[in-house]
Amino acid sequence: MELAQQLVNGLTLGSLYALIAVGYTVVYGIIQLINFAHGEIFMVGAFGALSTALLFFRSYVDEGQVLPFWALPVLILGAVAASVAIAVLMERIAYRPLRNAPRLAPLITAIGISVFLQEAVRLLYGKIPGFPDAKQKVPFPKIAVVSGDAWTPFGLTIQRSTIFTVGALVICAAGLFYFVSRTKTGRAMQAVSQDPDTARLMGINVDRIIVVAFVIGATLAAIAGIAQGLQVTNVNFKMGFLAGLKAFTAAVLGGIGNVWGAVLGGLTLGIVEALAIGFIPGTFGGSSWKDVWAFAILILVLVFRPQGLLGAKVVDRA
Amino acid sequence: MSTNTALPDVLDDSDVSRRDRLREQHGAKAPLLALAGGVLLLVSGLLSWSYDDRILGDISIRFYPAGIQIYAMVLGLVAVVLGVLLRRRPGWLNPGRGLAAVGWGSLVFVVVALVTIARQAGGSININEGGWVALVGALLVFAAGFVAQRFELNVRTWPRLPGWAEILVIVVLMAVLLFTTAYTLGLDDSWTFVCLLVTLLSVAIALVGSGFGEYVGFVGGNNRRVLLLAAFLVAFLFPFTQDGSDANMSIATQILIFAATALGLNIVVGLAGLLDLGYIAFLGTGAYVGAMLSQSTFATIGWKPPFLVVMLCGMAVASTFGLIIGSPTLRVSGDYLAIVTLGFGEIFRLAMFNLDGTNGPDLTNGPNGIPAIPDLNFFGWDFGKVHTVAGIPLGRFSNYYFLLLLLIAFVILVFSRLNDSRIGRGWVAIREDERAAEAMGVNVFGLKLLAFAIGAALAGLAGTIKAHQDTSVTPDQYIFLESAFLLAAVVLGGMGTVAGVLVGATILKLLPEKLRDAADYRLLLFGLLLVIMMRFRPEGLVASKRRQLEFHEDDEELVQLAQTEHLEEAK
Amino acid sequence: MTVTDPAPAAHEIGDRVVLEAANVTMRFGGLTAVGDVSMRVHDGEIVGLIGPNGAGKTTFFNCLTGMYIPTEGRVTLAGEQLPPKPLKVVRAGMARTFQNIRLFGNMTALENVMVGRYCRTSSMALTSVLRGPKFRREESATRERAQELLDYVGLGKSTELLARNLPYGDQRRLEIARALATDPQILLLDEPTAGMNPKETEETMHLIFKIRDSGLAVVVIEHDMRFIFNLCDRVLCLVRGSVLVEGTPGEVQSDPRVIEAYIGGDDADEEEDA
Repeated sequence: MELAQQLVNGLTLGSLYALIAVGYTVVYGIIQLINFAHGEIFMVGAFGALSTALLFFRSYVDEGQVLPFWALPVLILGAVAASVAIAVLMERIAYRPLRNAPRLAPLITAIGISVFLQEAVRLLYGKIPGFPDAKQKVPFPKIAVVSGDAWTPFGLTIQRSTIFTVGALVICAAGLFYFVSRTKTGRAMQAVSQDPDTARLMGINVDRIIVVAFVIGATLAAIAGIAQGLQVTNVNFKMGFLAGLKAFTAAVLGGIGNVWGAVLGGLTLGIVEALAIGFIPGTFGGSSWKDVWAFAILILVLVFRPQGLLGAKVVDRA
Repeated sequence: MSTNTALPDVLDDSDVSRRDRLREQHGAKAPLLALAGGVLLLVSGLLSWSYDDRILGDISIRFYPAGIQIYAMVLGLVAVVLGVLLRRRPGWLNPGRGLAAVGWGSLVFVVVALVTIARQAGGSININEGGWVALVGALLVFAAGFVAQRFELNVRTWPRLPGWAEILVIVVLMAVLLFTTAYTLGLDDSWTFVCLLVTLLSVAIALVGSGFGEYVGFVGGNNRRVLLLAAFLVAFLFPFTQDGSDANMSIATQILIFAATALGLNIVVGLAGLLDLGYIAFLGTGAYVGAMLSQSTFATIGWKPPFLVVMLCGMAVASTFGLIIGSPTLRVSGDYLAIVTLGFGEIFRLAMFNLDGTNGPDLTNGPNGIPAIPDLNFFGWDFGKVHTVAGIPLGRFSNYYFLLLLLIAFVILVFSRLNDSRIGRGWVAIREDERAAEAMGVNVFGLKLLAFAIGAALAGLAGTIKAHQDTSVTPDQYIFLESAFLLAAVVLGGMGTVAGVLVGATILKLLPEKLRDAADYRLLLFGLLLVIMMRFRPEGLVASKRRQLEFHEDDEELVQLAQTEHLEEAK
Repeated sequence: MTVTDPAPAAHEIGDRVVLEAANVTMRFGGLTAVGDVSMRVHDGEIVGLIGPNGAGKTTFFNCLTGMYIPTEGRVTLAGEQLPPKPLKVVRAGMARTFQNIRLFGNMTALENVMVGRYCRTSSMALTSVLRGPKFRREESATRERAQELLDYVGLGKSTELLARNLPYGDQRRLEIARALATDPQILLLDEPTAGMNPKETEETMHLIFKIRDSGLAVVVIEHDMRFIFNLCDRVLCLVRGSVLVEGTPGEVQSDPRVIEAYIGGDDADEEEDA
């Protein structure tokens, strides 16, 4: 029973990681850029949802009431809008001019953006009239059906937010599968990730495809942002850092560049973490060491299978 | 390699042909404009800027220049000199570029000054005649810089001075440097500091842009040892300018530790091209070793050896960690390495946080860290006490400053000698093309590991001193952001250079200390700065020619300049 | 052996087998890129490798130099079996150039060649920092030798130029100088004249003769038939990973199968060069 409970916990955590990890992997697959600021896109999504709630469901929030279920899609829209806007701006202003620069340059830019976004939210969010100060944790509104008492089938404890998170992952993965393999833009994306120069010669607008990749990543990250808000019932400007790092670990674990790898990697990482909390005996077990175990897994994978679980081996041509 | 000449021309983004035509038509007027503007700026320094005598120091008195009035006069002087030079056209200078920089600088400077006066005194009515004269002067210099014609630098015609005169040039420069540093650090008012910074920056850019920088590099190259000696002498003399005050010395020691660590990182990132995002962990390792083996009653290990042994232990433990981290991860390619090292940095922090007795053995006292680390004591010289040398009292931080000066000298020595050796060439080759390096017989894995170990050892060494200087060690000093800061110092200053990293470290540590008004926005600006630097000057402030070429491949002029220079050097 | 020795008037092929590749096979998954190729190279001999695109020439080179571990077969250099590690292969005395030039672009020409000396020098970190007499002696010897090699390939005046700024032909010659700096017994050249004009090609041919005359063995991959047939003592024609014909330039030139492989082998052209 303990095992089943930890598996449920791991699955929840893993779904969250998977949703964020897809953003890393899609962008990396196309322009080989580790978008280090992706964790912040996730954070911005959560704040986007919060802002939407404050703007349209003010009365509920002020009185501490639970938002009606139909507010959920509105919040999702708000979150996605915020994340996508920031991601697209970021690509346009910061990354695009560096497309041909040595690889260090975009990575450092990414660190800069990451710090900038965190600080911008911390300092400026509260300055918008009617919005709470974001220097501390900000409570995230509760929504009917997906917040509330946990379910306890067969003695397990399943939070309602878990259903949302796992459900979101399933729907997003299915949507992504359809998009990548069935639509013209999706196939163009595959082409660009294979060979951007040839793709350009074939008449594919590579710039547009790169933007699409950022948009996909941001959308999923925004949904993950809401999931996180529902799970821990608050959001803060720092939430993107560790989540982003874990999600990147998940992406590498699954094989960076491979969308299904990201999903698999996220779930694996979540479950490993949950099992580490529950089953590593002695003083090195428990939640205080779980992050250490997660990174240890990353390192083990890179040593023994650097291409990740589902990645293809890269052959360097002489 | 000499200092760089090709600063980004501030007008580069405008329509090139239109700009050229403008210069063609009005270029002849530039010297006159510069002279007029410069004289106005000089005059403005003698006039009153503000009714209120509490703003930006006291600038309300006439014929007694102080604070920003002096800065205006400095800018004016530089404009006049460049104006005269522009008229006489010596082949080894390019005053046009310098004028452009001074023009921008004075304009920004005057506008900042006037806005500050208006804001703090409540309206532009409080600005006195001096401010307006300065504004007109700045506009004229700006115009001059805009239309001034640019010349090709003729590198071959640098005037040679007799040996003693060249040494004198270096000595004077160093003296100016010492004085300016002491003066800058002495400023308390944020906005005066900003004005000074704008002035210094634009004068520096003007001098470098117009070719003085090249000349200084040339003279410095002729008298390398003198230059080095003078630089260290200046650094050594600095505490004596502080008159016993420890406030600036505290900042200076922080800068030195930061710079020494950044130089260690520069070996890993700048030379070997390995992006390490968890480097702060090595500094932390050193600091924890220093703390655990110190006389502190909270130290968890009973062994309390002399500090020299502690330093060696710090180096050894840090480099061992470097090897442990490096051996599995260095086979991984670039981007992965960045994240893995980041993960290791987090593991280090979490481990230090957790090893408190309840989650594993008690080594670090967990989040509380190890406090009450006593001051160092070298052969009876107690670092905690004030010592009076030549009538000038030297406080606690001055003592650490001298020790850290030795440390940084050591780190610079290691860095530059390794850079110019078989090992250094191997590292650069790996950075350039790993597979080709391997195919040419370079031991890629071994050298990468060596870079990691040496970098870690240097950081560990700095850490042991840092533990004593800070008197306590806690896990929250070693967060990811600190690694990002270190990396930023390396990148901002100029990867692979010593001077660049020193400049970068100074800027990153000094600015937040002096801009107290903007303390809350410090990180926001830091993030923005990284993005802007990567966009407009990715090679860093002090770039080696090699780096510049890497980032600006399409700049024909630069390529040619570099080529002629290489030929010159070869001759 | 220094390569600056005056070249003997007529050259002789030595008896000693420098390089022997026996039944080398390289498979990537189901694709056999190199199948059962054997080759012997003697002292002072120039061997040419020709074949249509995708015939596995470069893959074969990679197997020889330890960049790939051959699926089957073995490679011996002067009687010693080579470990499949580029580093050890270079130490043993085999050096190569690359088809798509792989210089250290942001290093000067001299520094590039000095990197080639890496495996024949030994000063490590501590000696480099201490700068003892041994270090200084070795450093100046390295510099001298590198300059000598640059002069040898005709780049004596480009010493201080960054490799990336050199003209194309000079970059190829710099690669040769860098390879020679490792003191090899045998030199593998992967398309040394690709992209060169006839005059440069001519110069390269004389350079290779000069290298051969100093006692080195040379293996050349090239598409330029005229170049190969004028240069080589012996030619191997690879088609689809195996040796189709081996013989003197005259024999190979007149072999109908070679002509067919090049002209009639449409399908071979479509294979990608792995």
